[in-house]
Amino acid sequence: MNKILTTEKRSITLFYAREGSASWLAHLDMMRLFERALNRAKWPVSWSEQAYNPRPDIVFALPVGCGIETCLDPVEVTLNLDGASFMAKQSVDTLNMVFPPGVRVVAFEETLLQKKSLMARVVAAKYRFNVPGIGNAMIKTFVDGQPVFVERLRKNKKVVVDIAPRILSVDDVQEDCVVLTGGAGSVGHLRIDLVLDALVRDGGLDHGAALGARVTRLQVFLDELPTDQCIIV
Amino acid sequence: MNRYDEPNYRAMLRQMQKPARYTGGELHAVDKRPQFFTIDPQDRVHFALCFPDLYEIGMSNLAIQILYDILNQHESTFCERCFAPAPDMRAYLKTHRLPLTSLETRTPLSEFDMVGISLHYELAYTSVLEMLYLGGIPLESADRGESDPIVVAGGPIACNLEPITPFLDVILLGEGEVALPEIVEAMRENKRSGSSRHDFLVAVSQIPGVYVPSFYSVDYHEDGTVREIKPIEPTAPHQVKKRVIRDLNCAHLPVTPVLPNIEVVHDRIVMEVFRGCARGCRFCQAGFTYRPMRERDKNTLFDAANKLIRNTGCDEIGLLSLSTTDYSELEDLVRKLLPTTEAQHINLSLPSLRMDAFDFELAKQIARTRRAGLTFAPEAGTQRLRDVINKNITEDDMITTAKTAFMNGWSRIKLYFMLGLPTETDEDIDGIAALSRQIIALWDDLPRDVRPKRVHITVSTSFFIPKPFTPFQWSRQISQDEMHEKQKRLANKLSDRRVSFQWHEFESSVMEAVLSRGDRRLAPIIKHAWQSGCYLDAWHEYFRWDLWQEALDMIDGGTDFYTRERPLDEIFPWDHLDIGVTRSFLRDEWQKSKRAETTCACFERCSACGCQTYETGVCQGHGN
Ligand code: SF4
Ligand code: SF4
Repeated sequence: MNKILTTEKRSITLFYAREGSASWLAHLDMMRLFERALNRAKWPVSWSEQAYNPRPDIVFALPVGCGIETCLDPVEVTLNLDGASFMAKQSVDTLNMVFPPGVRVVAFEETLLQKKSLMARVVAAKYRFNVPGIGNAMIKTFVDGQPVFVERLRKNKKVVVDIAPRILSVDDVQEDCVVLTGGAGSVGHLRIDLVLDALVRDGGLDHGAALGARVTRLQVFLDELPTDQCIIV
Repeated sequence: MNRYDEPNYRAMLRQMQKPARYTGGELHAVDKRPQFFTIDPQDRVHFALCFPDLYEIGMSNLAIQILYDILNQHESTFCERCFAPAPDMRAYLKTHRLPLTSLETRTPLSEFDMVGISLHYELAYTSVLEMLYLGGIPLESADRGESDPIVVAGGPIACNLEPITPFLDVILLGEGEVALPEIVEAMRENKRSGSSRHDFLVAVSQIPGVYVPSFYSVDYHEDGTVREIKPIEPTAPHQVKKRVIRDLNCAHLPVTPVLPNIEVVHDRIVMEVFRGCARGCRFCQAGFTYRPMRERDKNTLFDAANKLIRNTGCDEIGLLSLSTTDYSELEDLVRKLLPTTEAQHINLSLPSLRMDAFDFELAKQIARTRRAGLTFAPEAGTQRLRDVINKNITEDDMITTAKTAFMNGWSRIKLYFMLGLPTETDEDIDGIAALSRQIIALWDDLPRDVRPKRVHITVSTSFFIPKPFTPFQWSRQISQDEMHEKQKRLANKLSDRRVSFQWHEFESSVMEAVLSRGDRRLAPIIKHAWQSGCYLDAWHEYFRWDLWQEALDMIDGGTDFYTRERPLDEIFPWDHLDIGVTRSFLRDEWQKSKRAETTCACFERCSACGCQTYETGVCQGHGN
């Protein structure tokens, strides 16, 4: 299990969970949080070569919205080993000791550097909503084959989109809990706030309850699934 | 809302612009919830450390980090943080009738034993009232009962908090690291013995540096000036003397600071290299109230820097003090730090560079990591006026430094000035423009191959504000008409498009001047302004001059009473406080300034300002 990587540049995909106060961070804050934690854990992170503003090479698969918890979100970290050895398991353990409360790496996978960026590989994401009355609202709003139009702002202009086809599967519906998988990434991305808006408007979900919903991103699906090389921490 | 009701809490946060301002849970934040049940409630002191401005401002403040760390080191002291809510949260709390709470355990301020407020600028006064009000604490000290928290305030402007004394129970004069833990211990003792609020105040009034305002009465003359200030409680000293740390090397230097999860104004780790300043610029309050200058040993700092870098993972470290280039071991320290910072892509930033102390080689080394602009603070446009204010920078210094800077690739220079300084004439204002023209001409004359491609100068001005415990405490502040004229004159003279001009609003400068040298009679005015909606006044976008003016109309003489020149023998509202520097020294400095005579910096010669009684720091080098 404890392979020792010695090739110069390697990457490692971390799957992280966040909850509690950490789930209220915006994407940029999350990036800085990882940068600093990796520094504290003394990971040999490689730096992007841009001359003016070099940044550590850390890529999040899919930005996560403020107020959403995660269970298995991928982040790819490129390492510059420069001949040194890197013990992945130990390094992940160290990293887990220096995160602020509420953030934890739960699995990791060592990978060769991929041609395609991690972001481009995202295809879908699975979410869980815990909120009273959501089951009924879901059934009322999303009826087989029917479009669900919602308005959203793009570049300060209102555009109307049909979010129904962006829901790839409804995985579980209970009175107070819904699990669904939506498109994610550059095409067919499903926005969670729009789903909740539609449930309030068409499904009679209480507005206040929707605001207080607990939303958890259970998984982000990449074009290739994690292999059996993936190690659970 | 029950404070542990998660759906409502989430709903509230979802409606906030920056929810992470309120959630806490940062790295190194202290969570003492497990100890809640194991420690006897009578031994436990629950302390709310408050900063009357937004999270992003408060968390950039070193004092908050130091006090949080010190207080929490005691097993039975539970220190939590609380910041002024942004307007969205403030409105939410009001609409939903929710109390302002601490970050760590979401405890309403009213449930704490003590509420400590760190005050750094006068324009935060209405925010103090708002925090007390939202926290569920009776505003006036006189209305607080046995179960209400003790409200204690301290910080750089503690030397004159008279305008808000009715809202405070205790004021801490000087450095909080030493006196605050003593006050907390007095509270623990008070809880154990079941004594009263009054007993507590009597007990702490005997701790050096502690000022209990309700133990003093102030009488006024008919014209509104102070007739007499005297203690009315037998235990209260006639003069309260500022507390200082004698050996700064033994003072607490937090190496596990709370690391904000969101971007704050100074998004870096800071390390204080020395305290106090040896210069004595006559307008500068901090320059006098923090005396004497006391340095930290470079090895202590080097160790601390390494720990800070390791414990935070931040990519920028700042060396902090009032005038960092005056640190006697700066060059050694920076040379020692550079290998580490460079290897780890860490920026080393040095704020408040002074032109005369500027070591160019050093700055160049630092600039290797990031090429920022140069910042100079000549403060006045002519040598005469610089002598008046005792700012020890000559034109030659500036020109030489600027030339070297250009030849080493720097292209942006920012110059800070004050308008409305005592004795200022048109010539002094024109001098500001002339100086920036001279620097531009310098660039024009340099051969193309040795100068940067472009040049840009920013002239930034603020208005002079007379402050207590400075030689200029007797000075007037210029009128708004004069401010307007001076600003216009300067703007007209700065016509080069390579020079940009930034200025301060005058309304808030007037307000700051009124509050800075204010007295207790201002308390109802501040309360009125707050009641009519003033809040976060230090923010340009929230400052409501119309509401302030309305409130100030309630007082005889209005703003003019507070901005006027004061006669030499007038009793000041802060005369019962002693910050070390004597009134006679300040008066001599005021007189010298009128003759444009300068005074040496402490490290050149001791001018016996009064601080020799502390027997520490730079004073000791002179056999004091
Ligand atoms: S150098 Fe002058 S302006 Fe700066 S802190 Fe010291 S006394 Fe104040
Ligand atoms: S006593 Fe002398 S050395 Fe000490 S602060 Fe005052 S002037 Fe400076």
